[in-house]
This record gives sequence, C-alpha cells and structure tokens, in this order.
Amino acid sequence: MAQVILVVDDEPDMCWIMSNIIQPQGFNVVVATTGEDACFKFAHGEFSMMFLDAKLPDMEGLEIAKYARHLTGRSPCIVMVSGYHYLDDPVVQKAMIEGLIRDFLPKPFSNEDLIKILRFYTQ
Amino acid sequence: MLGFPLNDFEFQYEKLLNAIPSSVLIIDKKLHVRSVNDNFLLKSQRTQESTVGRSLNEVFPLVILQSTGIEEIIHQVLQNGMAVKGQKMTYRAPGVPIRIYYYSILPFMSEQIMLIMEDVTEQFRLSEEVRRVEGHLASVVESASDIVLSTDSEGRILTWNSAAEKLSGLSAHDVDGRYFFDLCDINQKQSIFQMYQRMKVANASYTTEFHLVTPNNTNNILISWVFSAMKDEYFNTVGIVVVGRDLAERRKLELQLRQSQKLTALGVMAGGIAHEIRNPLAVCSSAAQFLQQTPISEDFQQECARKIQVNIQKASVIIENLLRFSRSSLDTDMVEVDLIAVLKDTMEIVSNQAKVQKIKMHLSLQRTILLVSGVSGLLQQVFMNVLLNAINAMPTGGDIYLVVTVVEDRVIISISDTGIGIPAGELDNIFDPFHTSSPIGQGTGLGLSICYSIIRQHLGSIQAESRFGQGATINITLPVL
Repeated sequence: MAQVILVVDDEPDMCWIMSNIIQPQGFNVVVATTGEDACFKFAHGEFSMMFLDAKLPDMEGLEIAKYARHLTGRSPCIVMVSGYHYLDDPVVQKAMIEGLIRDFLPKPFSNEDLIKILRFYTQ
Repeated sequence: MLGFPLNDFEFQYEKLLNAIPSSVLIIDKKLHVRSVNDNFLLKSQRTQESTVGRSLNEVFPLVILQSTGIEEIIHQVLQNGMAVKGQKMTYRAPGVPIRIYYYSILPFMSEQIMLIMEDVTEQFRLSEEVRRVEGHLASVVESASDIVLSTDSEGRILTWNSAAEKLSGLSAHDVDGRYFFDLCDINQKQSIFQMYQRMKVANASYTTEFHLVTPNNTNNILISWVFSAMKDEYFNTVGIVVVGRDLAERRKLELQLRQSQKLTALGVMAGGIAHEIRNPLAVCSSAAQFLQQTPISEDFQQECARKIQVNIQKASVIIENLLRFSRSSLDTDMVEVDLIAVLKDTMEIVSNQAKVQKIKMHLSLQRTILLVSGVSGLLQQVFMNVLLNAINAMPTGGDIYLVVTVVEDRVIISISDTGIGIPAGELDNIFDPFHTSSPIGQGTGLGLSICYSIIRQHLGSIQAESRFGQGATINITLPVL
C-alpha cells in the first residue's frame, strides 16, 4: 500500500507540479486548495506527510498546522512550501522551534530538493 | 478813519495781527523788518528788539535767504506791485525742530511788503505720511509674486501689477480698460461673468482655477484665483480685487509628493506581490525541470510547456499592473475617464495583498460604464490608498464593499471595510497631512491628504464615517459627465 501525501496549495498549477514530482516516486497524492478542505481531508485520512502553503484564501498555513497538531495530539510531519516567507524568516523559525512544521521549502524550488525532503520524512 | 482814535486803531490792529496763526512781517524796500507779529517771534525764538528794525539777513539765516531767493522776490514785488503766493520755505530756528512754511509776499502800503508765513509742517508731514503709505502699499502689490489686479465692478481692469505683467506677457498699458474676462480661458468667460454679477450684491469672495490666456496663446498658465469685492462705506461694490497664483510650481511639488506616496503604497504591497509572483515562478521552474527529464511523454511535454507559458503570463500581468501604478503620470490633463474601469483596475492591483490577508472585495454597480472628467492615474491613486487603508485595517481578514451609486449629477463611491474602524477623535483629522495611526516607518501619513487634494482637483469631495470597532466607510463624490 503506497504512502499518501497531502498537498495543500490554493494554486491548482502548484498542486499539479507537486503531484507530478511526488507520484513518480511511488506515493499517492491528495490535493486540497482551501484551509477548510485541508482540515477535512487531514481529519479523514492517513497521511505520511503534508506539504503546506503559507497563505490560503480562508486560513493561514500555520493555522492548519495547529489544527493538525490539536487533532492528533502530536506534531504531524508538515513541510511548509511558500513564496511568502524565506528560510530565516522569524515566522518560519518560530514555527519550526514550536514543532508546528518540520521543514521549510521556498518557492520556486528544485524538484530534486522536494524529492529529498519527501524521501527524508517518509523513510 | 474807523471812528476811534489812532492809537486805539493801532492797538486793535496789533491785537488782530497777533491773533493770526501765521507769521506776519512788514518789510521795507531796504529789506529791514518794520513790524512783526507774536507768531513769528514765537516760531523763530526771537525778541521784538532783535527783529524790528533789523535787516532781513540778521533775522533769517543766510542759507534760507540764499535758497529761497526771497530778497530778490521782495524787490520784484516792490517794483511791479504783483503779489507772489504759495512759495515753500524750510526754516529751522536754533533749538527747535525744522518747520515748513508756505509764504506769500504781498505789496503793502508804499514801498513796503507784507511777508506772510503759514506753518504747514503738520499738513506736510501728514501728506508725506500718506504718500509713504501709498508708496508702501504700491510696492507691496508690485513686489508680490502673485498676480494682483483690480477691476471696476463691470470687470474693466484698473490696476495690473508686475507679476501680472510677467506671467501674462501683457503690460499694464496693454490691458488698461480691457475686460478681465477677455484674458481668461474661453470656457470660463461665462462663469466669471456670472461671478461678477453675483459679487455686485453678495459680500463673498470666490476661489477658482483656470488658465490665463497669454498673447501668443501657446503657453497658457494655470492660475488659482481669488476674487474679492471692494466695498465703499455704503457696502456697494465699487470694484473687484483679483489675486492669482501661478500653480505650475505647486503642481510640480504635488506631482513629486504623489509619486513618493505611490512608492510607499508599493512598499505596503511588497509581501503580496512576492507571494503572487513566486507561485508562477515555482510552476515554471518545476515544469522546466520536468522537461529536462528523459524519457518524457509527448503529452506531458506539451502540458509542461503550456504551464510555463501561462504562468509567465500571470507573473507578467502582476508586474505590468505595478509598473502602470508606479510610473509617474505626467499627464495631468482632465479627460473623459471611465470611473468603473479605473476602480476595477485598482482592485486588480491590490487583489494580491487582499488575498494574502484573506480579504474579499465586493463590487456593486448600477452601471457598467460611468464617465467622469479626470486624470485616471490620479483617481487610481485615490482608490488604491483607500483600499490599502481598508486592507491594513483588517490584519486578520474581512470584507471590503465597494458601492457605486449615481445621485443626480454626482457619483458616490462608497468603500467600506469590516476592520478596526477609526476612533471618533481621529475622524476629523484623517485627511490632514502627516496624520497616521501606523507605526513609525510604516506610513507617511500623506495618503489620505493626497487623496483629498486629488479629489478636490476633480471638483469632488471625500468624507469618512466610522465607529471604532465597527469598520470605516470612505465616501468619494465626483461630478459625472
């Protein structure tokens, strides 16, 4: 049974890109384009990890991360993928220290980096 | 004989002479003083003994005799018996301030003359003062860098200062007696004429802006005018004072200020822009990486190429909107502008920032096209400022409602947010320059004051309504075409 990855991004083209990187690596991908959609899918599915955009039309990416932690009672494996923040952005650093997110990948990224992160957290 | 003894007559005569508030001297042909009244003795600080019987050059200082040539005049009067009147003499007796006299020399009995000296120092001083004040006022008007002119109540030019000459290229002589309307922008003639009619009865002053027509008609200058009625003591309008200021310099400064404010607005939007441009960049970058892989299906290759093209286009549109906004619009001529198109364009530019902050914009219209007279770049700047303020007031998301309604000949653009609102005490001064509620470094406090000046220039008005904690509404009213 292939592992399932949740991709959360309001931009359908971004979801298309990420699906096309992740699927050939032998994973299944579930896509959510709003915060509400993401929370619902997270609550009703089993995901090895989540790639999460920082800004969604209805919620902040970090709010979804908080919801996920609240729901599971632990820190789920979430990697933030964003064009809004940068790696040493205090918001990102704080979220990593608090354990809300495991890692951060700035847009645009190299497909190779995304695969490395995917492999690292799904081993 | 007059019916009383001679010595009585002499006595009366002397009393009469002394009562005259002028200096009177009787002088004989040898230029000796024969008689003198008290007034002269007082003014010259002399005694009867040191004056009567003395030669003229002992009584008057040499310098006066020389400068007036009075001895020569006395000889002439003695010879031809013709009085000489109204000559000026400046006399300074030792120890008293300088006095100014008008003197007359009249033939008196045989071979004598009467020298009457009237002290006009005070009158002279007053007229000097009047001349000085007049000169001062004239030089104030002349040195002013503003146009200062006056017309009669019908509009015929009476005075025309040097600033008016310089700016118009017309000399005071050129315009003398011409109607002021004839020098005004042809479109304004009628309204200025009507203003003159109103000012004949009303006691108001009028402020307006229009071009002054220069003789070569090539370089008409935009002037801000103030017309005030000149009233006489019965409150009748006797003329109009017109003051005009060349707006070229002010317009240049306004342009710079608006430009710098626009750049501030761009700074506010930087976050939203970054997010919106990096998304299509990320798509392009990853799709390009797919294309480098082998093997790759033809369909997937096509799909990647299409995604790249579409996303480059997306990024380019965002950049183009920004360029359009940031570029300084030197175009300041009022033309026919579709207000709805300007409003929609502006919403498009701020939509990135609104999206990032989870703000929805709702536009409600009565018409799809609405023409106003204006400068689209400036109107865009107004909407941009108001929208960005609304966005800033809702850091955790909300709604912006844009409602456009037409009431008679005016359009009202109402922009409401669901943000923190404006405290009651600040509502009065949000349009003041440098008023800001933003932290230091995040706002210049010029945004709304620039909106105000732009809307005024469009002959409209801008007002704010708010209750603290319950959002704010900015109402912009403009005349429709």
